[in-house]
Amino acid sequence: MPVNENFVPKIQVFEPHRASLPPLIPYLKEFWTRRVFATELARFSDKAEYLDSRLGKVWLVLNPLLLGLIYYLVVEIIRPGGGLPGLTRLDHLLIGLFTFYFAQNCVTAGALSITAGGRLILNQAFPRALLPFSCTIQAFQQYLPTIPVYIFVLVVGKWAYPTTEVPGWTWNFFWIPFIVICTGLTGFGLALIFATLNVYFRDTNKLLTYITRIWMYLSPVLWLPNSLRGNMKILLWINPLGPVLSATSRVWVNGASPSKNTILGCIFWAIASIMIGGYFFISRERDFAIRI
Amino acid sequence: MPEDLAIRIEDLSISYKVSLEAKRTLKNAVMRASLKQKERTRTIEAVKHLTLDVPHGSVLGIVGSNGAGKSTLMRCVAGILSPTEGRVTVNGKISTLLALGVGFNPALSGRDNIILGGLASGLNMDEISDKTDEIAAFAALPDGFIDLPVRTYSSGMYGRLSFAVAVSMTPDILLLDEALSAGDAAFKEKSFERMRQLCAEARTIVIVSHALATVTDLCDSAIWMHKGQMLSKGKPEAIVDEYLKFLNVGSLPSSYEDM
Ligand SMILES: Nc1ncnc2c1ncn2[C@@H]1O[C@H](COP(=O)(O)OP(=O)(O)OP(=O)(O)O)[C@@H](O)[C@H]1O
Ligand SMILES: [Mg+2]
Repeated sequence: MPVNENFVPKIQVFEPHRASLPPLIPYLKEFWTRRVFATELARFSDKAEYLDSRLGKVWLVLNPLLLGLIYYLVVEIIRPGGGLPGLTRLDHLLIGLFTFYFAQNCVTAGALSITAGGRLILNQAFPRALLPFSCTIQAFQQYLPTIPVYIFVLVVGKWAYPTTEVPGWTWNFFWIPFIVICTGLTGFGLALIFATLNVYFRDTNKLLTYITRIWMYLSPVLWLPNSLRGNMKILLWINPLGPVLSATSRVWVNGASPSKNTILGCIFWAIASIMIGGYFFISRERDFAIRI
Repeated sequence: MPEDLAIRIEDLSISYKVSLEAKRTLKNAVMRASLKQKERTRTIEAVKHLTLDVPHGSVLGIVGSNGAGKSTLMRCVAGILSPTEGRVTVNGKISTLLALGVGFNPALSGRDNIILGGLASGLNMDEISDKTDEIAAFAALPDGFIDLPVRTYSSGMYGRLSFAVAVSMTPDILLLDEALSAGDAAFKEKSFERMRQLCAEARTIVIVSHALATVTDLCDSAIWMHKGQMLSKGKPEAIVDEYLKFLNVGSLPSSYEDM
């Protein structure tokens, strides 16, 4: 009898499951060892998406900029004049829109990641959460180039209106990585929920196009967080993106540090989304292969 | 589980619950709820009470007609589907080549797909870059096809690449589901060679094939599955004979009638 010298005993037992979690430590370990798969998948999907169009990378920048322009026009037409100088409003709108789109891209792409992952899911066993995670990374990579766009608009704006209150450099910009991480975590958590729903109900992503639109109007993107009065203020807290968008506007546009409550709100929604989304997704992911 | 076993399957049953609706949507679910209807579903028992041991270093063939549950069984051993009842225990690193090929993204080149497939199956970047050239050489795709998008491949080229990826993972347990059907004669010979080599290294292989010659050539034992049950188990020649007889006669031999 020949002997396989490289054999490493690795016992795996597959048994029926109920809708409870699989052992979490091994799951997270597997997830961690295959994280490169998620980053490479994000890189390759980008490549596949933009392979055909030479303008691909340019679109990454042009697209948010044009959207910003459109919404700016809309807002200016709806509310002519009124309070703030134009540049502050434009800056608030741009950075709010870019941050909102980062979260929205996490959710909409992540929602499709399982149902679109057909062959990969039917033929290979791996922690399925890697697929929405890869979408989060991809959304982040698309978010990054919008930052220089924003800074460019800012610099040009400050040059054109030297009297503007929009800040130059401040140490409060060190809040930005924190905000971006909270946004990404919240987006990933919500993506886990919608990815699971989309396996069971295939029209979820259609519904999602309406949800995200309403969601944006309810978020402090087209309006300023401090323009809310009385009971309406609750919109800033019950919206998973409310705190991060308030913080974004406060840091980028006012150059101030976010309030303590806002910081706590950011942390709360990041953790809550990950916990709820993670439980919902991981407890059901063993069903995915027979349902897609 | 005894140490000399690679796979132990105990009283395994797998069923699919299939919705009879064309598409499962939220809209339908809401409509049903408002009409107080229940969703119409059907349960398909794809594998029924199957018990089987596969020792290390053996090559097992599985034959059976379409819909017998072979692919379902393979997916369960690979850990992709979980059992409805019973238990599967696997000892060793698994590599799968199931009927649909590896998770290939048609817009990406063969080379990129090799990297992604390897990462998904748990290799790290260094191991893969070592292997990419080896895989490309084994698949031996004509004139630089390896750097073209996979959507430009013929089904045979696609099959070659999938096979090359699956065997390159140096698995302890290799699961092949109709892996060799698309390759041409030369590639078949080469892949037989590679599989014999893997057996000589005492790796375990499970082959599902409708090409019965593959089973008699490569396997040292075989099982015949029919409608989710294992009807018989034994030497590949005997099993293939039995199966062929059944195919020609079209009904089960009387000895199985009460199963
Ligand atoms: N994803 C699925 N959802 C629902 N039912 C399925 C699914 N996959 C397979 N089945 C059912 O399970 C049974 C076994 O299918 P399976 O694919 O395992 O057969 P097979 O032996 O591999 O057949 P073939 O020789 O055609 O490949 C069939 O009745 C099939 O209809
Ligand atoms: Mg099959």
